[in-house]
Amino acid sequence: MSAEASLPSAAGIEEAVSPREARLERAALILRRGAVANGILSGVVLLLAILGGIGLVPGLFGSLRPLLWAQAGGGDDAAVAAVILLTQVNLSLLLVMMVGIQARETWALAGVWLLAAANGAALALLGFTPALLTLVFALWAGLTISRDVRAFRMNPVMLKELRGRMRGMRAFVVLTVYLGLMSGFTVLLYLTVAATSRTLGSAAGEVGRLLFSGVVGIELMLIVFIAPAFTAGAITGERERLTYDLLKTTLLPSPSFVIGKLESALGYVLLLLLAAIPLQSIAFLFGGVTETELLLSFVILTVTAIALGAVGIFFSAIMERTLSASIRSYMVTLAATFGVPLVLSVVLGILSSAIRTKPAVLEAAFVYLNDLLTSMNPIATAINTQQLLINRQVIGFWTDTLVSTGATIPRVSPWITFTIIYLVAATVLVVLSVQRMRKSEG
Amino acid sequence: MSFIIETRDLRKKYGKFDAVNGLSLEVPAGSIYGFVGPNGAGKTTTMRMLTTLTRPSSGEAWVAGHSVQAEPRAVRRAIGYMPDEFGVYDDMRVWEYLDFFAACYDIPEINRKKLIDDLLELVDLTHRRDDMVDKLSRGMKQRLSLARTLAHDPAVLILDEPASGLDPRARVEIRELLVELAKMGKTIFFSSHILADVSEICTHIGIIEGGKMVAQGSMQEMRAQLMPHREIMVTVRDDDSAQKVAGLVSGIAGVIHAVVIEPKAGRSRVRIDFTGDDDGVAAVNTVISTGGVAILGFTEETKDLEAMFMRVTKGIVT
Repeated sequence: MSAEASLPSAAGIEEAVSPREARLERAALILRRGAVANGILSGVVLLLAILGGIGLVPGLFGSLRPLLWAQAGGGDDAAVAAVILLTQVNLSLLLVMMVGIQARETWALAGVWLLAAANGAALALLGFTPALLTLVFALWAGLTISRDVRAFRMNPVMLKELRGRMRGMRAFVVLTVYLGLMSGFTVLLYLTVAATSRTLGSAAGEVGRLLFSGVVGIELMLIVFIAPAFTAGAITGERERLTYDLLKTTLLPSPSFVIGKLESALGYVLLLLLAAIPLQSIAFLFGGVTETELLLSFVILTVTAIALGAVGIFFSAIMERTLSASIRSYMVTLAATFGVPLVLSVVLGILSSAIRTKPAVLEAAFVYLNDLLTSMNPIATAINTQQLLINRQVIGFWTDTLVSTGATIPRVSPWITFTIIYLVAATVLVVLSVQRMRKSEG
Repeated sequence: MSFIIETRDLRKKYGKFDAVNGLSLEVPAGSIYGFVGPNGAGKTTTMRMLTTLTRPSSGEAWVAGHSVQAEPRAVRRAIGYMPDEFGVYDDMRVWEYLDFFAACYDIPEINRKKLIDDLLELVDLTHRRDDMVDKLSRGMKQRLSLARTLAHDPAVLILDEPASGLDPRARVEIRELLVELAKMGKTIFFSSHILADVSEICTHIGIIEGGKMVAQGSMQEMRAQLMPHREIMVTVRDDDSAQKVAGLVSGIAGVIHAVVIEPKAGRSRVRIDFTGDDDGVAAVNTVISTGGVAILGFTEETKDLEAMFMRVTKGIVT
């Protein structure tokens, strides 16, 4: 086993058979370092924020702020909270680009430069100091592979899968049936709502919102069931069809394989989502729903599909059979998105009501923990995001007032934390699947 | 001589069971190497180690100068592998199948169309280009798979039982294809338990049993090593002639002995065990024909692999 550790394949970095491959691997490594650096920065700031929040270090936010983000609007604590989240956004994007470059995805090539540009702009225009970190690493990686544009290409696995999936009648029949069911459901929902609210004119916005939420809710349920099913057979299916060995003896990098499978599954899910957008848009006829909601719902749905697809891939990589991979995927999906958050929020609720008079710090801690749990579940995230949007017109950051002392704390709309958590989880699962694939058997 | 595949004391343990037990293999570049052994001898395990699919427990192996353990991707670039049992994607067309694998080997899209056409022509499947893969017969799938192994122009082909499960005609076609590929300069390392396949086209063979190499070398070496003498079979009309032939040749240098063996199809036969070169064989023929015996047949029995095989293997199937 000790000899294995020194092998290039076990070290997480693919053995390069050409200078070009060596450069790509180096760029991936640079991005990984960038992600780690952002993680450390984010962790340190979070630790300081906790210390400052508890009151151990008075005036900490005030002294941190000019260092991190002098030009930020709002309070000192909001600026620090924004720094923590934005560094984590950078971390997750760097990780995604790392995997993308290993898989030679064209979007990763563009993504690295976009990431550098966005961070450059954040640094120059907004004075967001931590952007420097990502700017340097993204530029470094981008320059490392500047000569290797030709290495990036259409993913062969994705192409193969989509050719197979879209061939013949099946794909279109499925799409038609899906749209038929969704339309039927929308009509049913409308009739129910129309029957219960007699004065339709005054409550038209309410109807529109309900129709919209209903369609998005159904789509969310659908994704929870479809996304893992599409990917759980990704690797086990190749094993069962005896095509896995053929693939493993080619030069196809393992990340390409995993990403290709994920892309083809997501491509189809995305098609279903896009096809249903006209249905969601019926809500516009009634009013009460804005484009922002449509956009945010689309982000939440897509991120859910990516993460659950990655769960399916991961179990496909570690299990032998598609059936057992599917079962594990569903179990873990349900536990992570519903079970654990539900149990924890119940526990939290009991604790919260048990402690009658909470000091401000404890109350803030409960608020943040609750936000975190909300962000673990796509449905709770969607509902809370919509509530915030409707009640407070908040898309991103907002300031909340504590009941106990009337002090204010910065809070963030759950879709942001949700996106970060789910994207990081998806990337980690993809990386783990890749490592599992690289390990030779026996 | 340079060896394109070389293993040294290669071992693979599954628990307490030694699938491959100290195998040392040498395959010269450009050869057609038949890897023969009874079922369960360790052929497939060896091939899986050479193709980087299975990690050896100990020992070393090199393919095209690259260690299978330290440089697996370099090895993969040098080999084309066809497993014993393999699946084909059923929802693909023939050209798409090759296109996919060519893409997996990083062949740029602009070169792929010509490559696919060339490969299909080589394996004689041009007319099935747009058919679905699962509509092909088993022999055609085998040929398609062979085309796939050639997509990246590898130096070595590692083929596990390429002819198994094929009808006689398809088997001959595969065999001809292998000879053609060898002419193109590729080293072909293939396993088989059908000895006739091996003896007809191989330049080298290795016999494996119980995870160990029992004999290997070029066909000539193997013949010389395992069959120290040649056998000449003379067919004559009746028993008297046979006795006469035996008498005539027994004096010739190099003839170990000549015995009259039981008649076949009403014709008497004499078996002459002979050590000597081709001139010697010709001399024996001359002696008999000048001796006034009417000969119906004079053939050298090529000691086939079957005999060699039976002689070397002890029939221990582990």
